[in-house]
Amino acid sequence: MERLLIKILFYGALILFILEGLVRVFHLHKGTPERMIDDRGVEKWVPGQSGYIATGNRRQNFAEYRINNFGYNSYREFAPTEDGYEIALIGDSFIEGFHQDYDNSIGKKIEDSLPGVEVYEFGYAGYDLADELHLISAYPELFDKIDQIVIFLQYPDDLLRGSFKISKERLKLQEGTYALLKKSKLLVYLQNIRFLGNMTGKLNSWKSNLFRQGGGEEKRDQNKEQRLGDLTLHNFKSLLTDPGLKTKKISFLVDRKSFPDQFMSYLEKEGISTIDYGEALEFQQTPVTLIYDMHWNDQGRKVIAEELISFIRVHYGILAENGDILKMK
Amino acid sequence: MLFNSLEYFVFLPLVFFLYWKVLGNKLTGQNILLLVSSYVFYGWWDWRFLLLILASTLVDFYAGQRIGRAIQGSRTAQRWLWVSILFNIGMLGFFKYFNFFIGSFIDSLDVIGYKVQSIWTLNIILPVGISFYTFQTLSYSLDIYRGKVKPTRNFIDFAAFVSFFPQLVAGPIERSSHLLPQIEKPRKFSYNNSADGLKLLLYGLLKKVVIADSLAPIVDDIFTNHLSYSPAILLMGAVFFGFQIYGDFSGYSDMAIGTAKLFGIELRSNFRFPYFSRNIGEFWRRWHISLSTWFRDYLYIPLGGSRVAKPKALRNIFIIFLVSGLWHGANWTFLVWGGIHAFLFVPLFVLGANRKYKGKHLGEGRILPGIRESLAVLVTFIMVSLSWIFFRAESLSAAWNYFKGLFSTWEFPAYLHPQGYRMSDYFILLLVFLTYEYRIRFNERDPFPFKTGTIRFISYALMVFALLLFYDSGTDRSFIYFQF
Repeated sequence: MERLLIKILFYGALILFILEGLVRVFHLHKGTPERMIDDRGVEKWVPGQSGYIATGNRRQNFAEYRINNFGYNSYREFAPTEDGYEIALIGDSFIEGFHQDYDNSIGKKIEDSLPGVEVYEFGYAGYDLADELHLISAYPELFDKIDQIVIFLQYPDDLLRGSFKISKERLKLQEGTYALLKKSKLLVYLQNIRFLGNMTGKLNSWKSNLFRQGGGEEKRDQNKEQRLGDLTLHNFKSLLTDPGLKTKKISFLVDRKSFPDQFMSYLEKEGISTIDYGEALEFQQTPVTLIYDMHWNDQGRKVIAEELISFIRVHYGILAENGDILKMK
Repeated sequence: MLFNSLEYFVFLPLVFFLYWKVLGNKLTGQNILLLVSSYVFYGWWDWRFLLLILASTLVDFYAGQRIGRAIQGSRTAQRWLWVSILFNIGMLGFFKYFNFFIGSFIDSLDVIGYKVQSIWTLNIILPVGISFYTFQTLSYSLDIYRGKVKPTRNFIDFAAFVSFFPQLVAGPIERSSHLLPQIEKPRKFSYNNSADGLKLLLYGLLKKVVIADSLAPIVDDIFTNHLSYSPAILLMGAVFFGFQIYGDFSGYSDMAIGTAKLFGIELRSNFRFPYFSRNIGEFWRRWHISLSTWFRDYLYIPLGGSRVAKPKALRNIFIIFLVSGLWHGANWTFLVWGGIHAFLFVPLFVLGANRKYKGKHLGEGRILPGIRESLAVLVTFIMVSLSWIFFRAESLSAAWNYFKGLFSTWEFPAYLHPQGYRMSDYFILLLVFLTYEYRIRFNERDPFPFKTGTIRFISYALMVFALLLFYDSGTDRSFIYFQF
């Protein structure tokens, strides 16, 4: 029996070693770049990195990224001028766009349709409104020159903080044990295909069944929506207290249906522009998201870009007869 | 508990360790452990199922004793045999067929103009594996009655035979003459046996996860929306279902045989590369062998088999195929499926060609099969695939519409995977799988028949890699045959 056990362990180790090689050779692992917090307290990617990000068991999605000198995934550098017309698109992983080739982003699609417009994409997975507004405040010399700022808010979760504080939670994912584990591309791959997640999830559910942890159903909270609405509104107001921000031309890219009514009504009352992309995505015939997650695929990004283009044309552009923007207001 | 679940990968090593390390030389202890672990394995679905298996065990143990004590062929022996038959068939009939027969009776009254409101149909849960273990216990009583085996006096041994967890819920259906003596005799740990068991476990898991589970969403989509698909896609759906059910069921059988080997027990083979069959007769010698031989031994031969006048022999063929169809489920679709196979088998029987390829492998002594052999395989495969439409469809009308769809205008539109995956992956997968199966076609119990250890090892590694490539975190798919 010992012989069997030794052979299982030996063969098992050898198979893991081979799998590690195969995952590397076929580049099946995700390959996320390194993170950092800069001297102004902004969390972003370490500038100058490039590579590929794979999604799915069999690399169903494979995209190239390029982190520019400012620390965001973009084909262009951010160098606004007084004469040029620049738009900043700020948001989370949907704007970051690790699910597409960096030169096929929402910003690039807008630029292709609106010659003369430069789109700066400040996307970073996990950003909420506090992070996004902090970024604008931390770099006044940059954002003062940018003509329009569009902030993408996906869910009310983006408004769960009422003030900004540097968080090192995400940075921990590349330190200590995590950094060591990340060195194994096989582990990264198993994590990506949710193999490890399923295993640990099941083990945790056994554990909680065994020790009767957490029993009892969560009480239904009828006022939950009302309280969420109050909270998001309260946080939104307290985040926008910086007088510098009020002078900026900020618009919000949102799906109306995802936000509490009182929040949307407040934006309208205050005259804050919103771009509602919800319906445009909903009525698409072809899928707008990727296979493995809810991030937009090329079609989804196209729809978002079109929504932004019409918004820019209507609200800020002086249109030529053929529909091109002649001059910005 | 599913073979392809995390629970099983904790359960199996634990039982294995206790079985050999703690109870190594104690036969009774080992059998008690097998019994307890089998009940845990089965009760994992629903503890109430245990009451049924316990009842079946008690009745057949007692009936077996009484048949064994009586004079062979006497009225007492006959009476106790009927007790066993009525109990087992009654239990199966109630849990599996009650609603079907009541529903069919009401439908037939409806046809002749009588509208009857059903108050008799019941909300019955079908206990997992009931068709398998009732047939297994039934064979015990029948074999004692025929004097083929002696009744066991040890209840633990008998209960372990009935509930032996590797084959409890989906076979292979064992015979008392084969499995019971193995349970009664002391078993010794064998490295080679255990290693062979692990290899079968790996190969079975591959068939289940990589072949069956990955094709399942495509098959489900095509069969659900068959009215909106073109003939080429419908044909693909039928062929894919053929591979899905083969991967699912033969994968289960491999894992069952492999697991049993780990405990020093040999189970009967259930599949011998059925898609390399050159006619339907050969197909049925290679597909679900333990069920077809059960029907052969306990139904076909007692009815006279083929050693009676031709019309009676043909009747026997139809009976065995129709009953075999009905065994799979309480639905007319299974009955039609059995009937189709009977119609396909009869010409071979009449021409005396049903045993033509017995004992001969495809492409024997050559690298590739000849053109005639290949054509025969292809024709058989197409016939089997088309018959699967009735097996898989929800109802006769759905199957009929699917069939009609196959004969509408042929177009070749691109098929989009329901979850958006690349379809080319699946065609490549099936090509590689068939090539591999062809390479190993001589022995279903040795999925890695390579002389050099390096090639064997590379095969293990590639199979584990394939498991990851096709692993789907979103589903914990059960085995198709659990519903039977």
